[in-house]
Amino acid sequence: MKKIGVFICHCGVNIKDTVDVEYLTEKLADYKGVEHIENYMFMCSDPGQNLVKEAIQENKLDGVVIAACSPTLHESTFQNAIEEIGINKYQLEIANIREQCSWVHTSREEATRKAELIIKTAIEKLRLNQSLEPVTAPLTKRVLVIGGGIAGIQAALDIADGGYEVVLVEKKPSIGGHMIQLSETFPTLDCSQCILTPKMVQVGKHKNIKLYVNSQVAAVDGFAGNFTVTINRKAQYVDPDKCTLCGDCTDSCPVVTPCEYDEGLAWRRAIYVPFPQAIPATFTIDTENCLGFEPIACGECKKACEPGAINYDAKPQTFEEKIGAIIVATGYDLYPVENMAEYGYGKYPDVLNGLQFERILSATGPTGGEMLRPSDGKVPKEIVFVQCSGSRDPERHLSHCSRICCMYTLKHAKLYKHKVPDGQPYIFYIDIRSGGKRYDEFIQQAVSEDGVVYIRGKVAKIYQEGDKMIVHGMDTLTGKKMEICADMVVLAQGIVPSEGVHELVKTLKLGVDDVGFLIEAHPKLRPLESLQSGFYIAGAAQGPKDIPDTVSQASGAAAKILALFSHDEIYHEPIIAIVDEDKCSGCGICIGTCPYGARVLENGVAMVNDILCEGCGACISACPSGAAQQKNLTDQQINSMIKVILG
Amino acid sequence: MNLPYYPGCTLKANARHFEDSAQKALAKLDCELEEMKDWVCCGTVFSMTTDDLMLQLASIRNLLRAENQGLKEIIVLCSMCYNTLKRSQDFITRDQENLDKVNKFMYMENLKYSGSIEIYHLLTILKDRITYDKIKEKVKTPLKKLKVGAFYGCLLVRPEEFAIDDFESPTIIENLLDVLGAESIDFPYKLECCGAYQTLTKQEVSIKRSYEILKSAHNSGCEAIITSCPLCAYNLDFLQKRIEEDFVEFVKLPVFYFTELMALALGEKWSGEWSKLHHVDPEQLLRDKHLI
Amino acid sequence: MNAFEPKIVCFLCKWCTYAGADLAGTSRIKYPPNGVVIKTMCSSRIDPEHILYAFQQGSDGVFIGGCHPGDCHYQTGNYKTQRRVLLLKRMLKQMGINPERLKLEWISASEGNKFANTMIDFTEKIRNMGPVPKLSGKEDK
Repeated sequence: MKKIGVFICHCGVNIKDTVDVEYLTEKLADYKGVEHIENYMFMCSDPGQNLVKEAIQENKLDGVVIAACSPTLHESTFQNAIEEIGINKYQLEIANIREQCSWVHTSREEATRKAELIIKTAIEKLRLNQSLEPVTAPLTKRVLVIGGGIAGIQAALDIADGGYEVVLVEKKPSIGGHMIQLSETFPTLDCSQCILTPKMVQVGKHKNIKLYVNSQVAAVDGFAGNFTVTINRKAQYVDPDKCTLCGDCTDSCPVVTPCEYDEGLAWRRAIYVPFPQAIPATFTIDTENCLGFEPIACGECKKACEPGAINYDAKPQTFEEKIGAIIVATGYDLYPVENMAEYGYGKYPDVLNGLQFERILSATGPTGGEMLRPSDGKVPKEIVFVQCSGSRDPERHLSHCSRICCMYTLKHAKLYKHKVPDGQPYIFYIDIRSGGKRYDEFIQQAVSEDGVVYIRGKVAKIYQEGDKMIVHGMDTLTGKKMEICADMVVLAQGIVPSEGVHELVKTLKLGVDDVGFLIEAHPKLRPLESLQSGFYIAGAAQGPKDIPDTVSQASGAAAKILALFSHDEIYHEPIIAIVDEDKCSGCGICIGTCPYGARVLENGVAMVNDILCEGCGACISACPSGAAQQKNLTDQQINSMIKVILG
Repeated sequence: MNLPYYPGCTLKANARHFEDSAQKALAKLDCELEEMKDWVCCGTVFSMTTDDLMLQLASIRNLLRAENQGLKEIIVLCSMCYNTLKRSQDFITRDQENLDKVNKFMYMENLKYSGSIEIYHLLTILKDRITYDKIKEKVKTPLKKLKVGAFYGCLLVRPEEFAIDDFESPTIIENLLDVLGAESIDFPYKLECCGAYQTLTKQEVSIKRSYEILKSAHNSGCEAIITSCPLCAYNLDFLQKRIEEDFVEFVKLPVFYFTELMALALGEKWSGEWSKLHHVDPEQLLRDKHLI
Repeated sequence: MNAFEPKIVCFLCKWCTYAGADLAGTSRIKYPPNGVVIKTMCSSRIDPEHILYAFQQGSDGVFIGGCHPGDCHYQTGNYKTQRRVLLLKRMLKQMGINPERLKLEWISASEGNKFANTMIDFTEKIRNMGPVPKLSGKEDK
């Protein structure tokens, strides 16, 4: 029979005033299994803890019940205390007689009676508690980062600098994400490429970073700390080690196709480098538009290539990497303008989205940084910016706020005005969300100094008349309808998760919300991890956010992984499910109840994957034979607690 | 093909050329509009509140009588009637209580309404049942690329549940016009309201609205526009002489019912009786285009 | 003195309702002491057998507290609980126990007030219903 010690805390007067601790000490001394019982003013204090330790040693106690405040406060305090003297920390139970007793009841008699029952249930549970050790598994100290935008780049650098190997997988031919397309970033108006490219170069050179471009994650097997990741890489027709970026190949290519980097506003060849600062610094062949090499329809690029970097016989390759933790940093895309029926379904060349406008602003863009409109190259004198295009519109489009549009729209208007001093920018808005550091000052300055006109109202319709775009909107502050004959319109399209994320999360078995953003373990306190053990999330893949927040999140995720890697093993709470194989009939009902895939059938018997099991207990209550139990919360324990409550 | 038909009041009066041209055009397609018996005015306004039933009654009475005559469906030409009947039908089918309440008022009828009538606009029938292929076959005198703007107005595409095509960018009328040999022009104001009944109380609103619509059509290259609604036809056609007074640079445009052009393309002779009911002369344009 | 005071067994999920009950405590909101708490990690741990056992042992009422739908710490646990409770209520009726004696409520960690009010209302309801009828059957081993 387990020798149990019971310690009742007065908590100053918090418990003592309502619950008769002396009476309880006397009454429970005779309770079955109670070897030692005492009460004290502040059990959580040093002297209080010492009382517990001494009593354990003197009476050779096997376990203790502390009747005090809620376990959320001091369960770990007492667990650490008893561990110090060699008692397993799971031989401890907290009886919550403060938050759920002395603080909520008025009658001393009733509160004391209830406290007695609470303590008895704790004793009953403790009686059958087993000593448990945390579940451990070996830990592969290598990280997979999915996505090579600023979030993936930052996380990769932080982990690599921390001394661990990073595998960075990017589906495009170069890392850089959307940030490399930007002209300047708010509110400092830093040149985006200038601040990003050094990081990109670092990633390319870092001895701890293994970079796969033109690659996608095909499968993830295993579990947290022990993943095996399969990566598919497209055929590498141009050898990055041999390519000198001379450009002779692209000059000889006959195919012309819209350029993704310039958001369709410019052209490139089928053999191309996405942008001058691409990492890896190599040309690449776009097989969808290339005339083909089975058979070789053209072959000009290979002829032109002096270093002999081009090989038409290259094949797609599959790689396997052993990984301990995965960061998903797949970023965002813009809600397509083609969905905006009221704004022309994307058919008007002078109605652009924000990224297209960035390319026009950019010195490396299709207009060399000059403010010219796509249709006829004229300088737009009247330009309309439409905020919340597709966002905050649950009836037709996206219901969420895309967070960054208010700031970048103003940035656009400001930069436009710098380039066209006699131009007039109008911004249609619903609200202005400028909550970041120095964001609001940025807005106020543009309004007062740059003559940006803000109109509060939605734009109902945009259509073309002659060479003007007619914008029908509403000024809700004056109540008047507005009609602006603009030369160009820029739509702040909503932020949506990156294309392909739905397929990816099926492979990774991660949760996404109704829009497709990754779900975090807890929106307030655990925003960097997924509920799935071993997965971390960073950047716009989790929700629309600006660059400072993305970088913070990426570094935060990296820090969490570095903390994980400071151990040699991966630990897991042991309050998990177990199966008595003798009682298990292999019915398989438990398999489907597990949200974590921790239950499998092996040789006709249900098994539990210790690392994956989170201890919810759903499978246990589903088990018809009682073969499944939860460690330290067995059916027997629950029933004995019920029995003692009902006396 | 027999098409059970609800005309509505105006098609027997100011818009009788709409009905006449429809009958003649459909005859060329081996179809006939068979008018239902004992119909009454549909009411032309839909009640927005569920406790104001008065505005539903006329509409439902028509549907009830159609049902009692053994009809399964009715075809409508007038956009206003179409919209009103369709919304009333939806009102009583989505909640049994509504149907019960309305039926209590139908004590003068033989039977109660069970809610079974389907309501279609002729444009839908032309597309889905008669099909454009058949129409194309029967086109005798194609419209020689006459530039026509399809004016939908609001009632054919709003509310969304009752729209006969995509409510932001419908093409059902344009498709028909193209099959008839015309050149359909998509102009930005094709879905805008003409001012509707404001023409009685605040005519300047209808004048302004109609002006914008016609101006947009003209600027987009239209030589004429078509409509399916006698109220739109009134505002857009009749008010042009008022628009001329207020807006100097205004260019007049003939306003046709789509069935008039359809009849013409299918080989029917243009009727002088139809021209009499137009306000802006349509014949000059048709002559210029050698269509008559 | 012999006025009937109901005995109620409360199963609370650690992440939401238990925390909500703690919040009621820190906010010093008063409610009757008739319910004693058994804490589980998730409401889905609660087997209908436990509930039946409680009634059999003389519990006049059983209360289960879990996270709001969509908020379950273990993603889908509360949905399972809801299904089980709905089905169990039908069985209770057939056993001669008023299904109203079993209550399932979603209470989040921030709803201290809601917890207290639920306890007050439920206790009163059970008090009015009177003691639970005796269930015949074997004792659990």
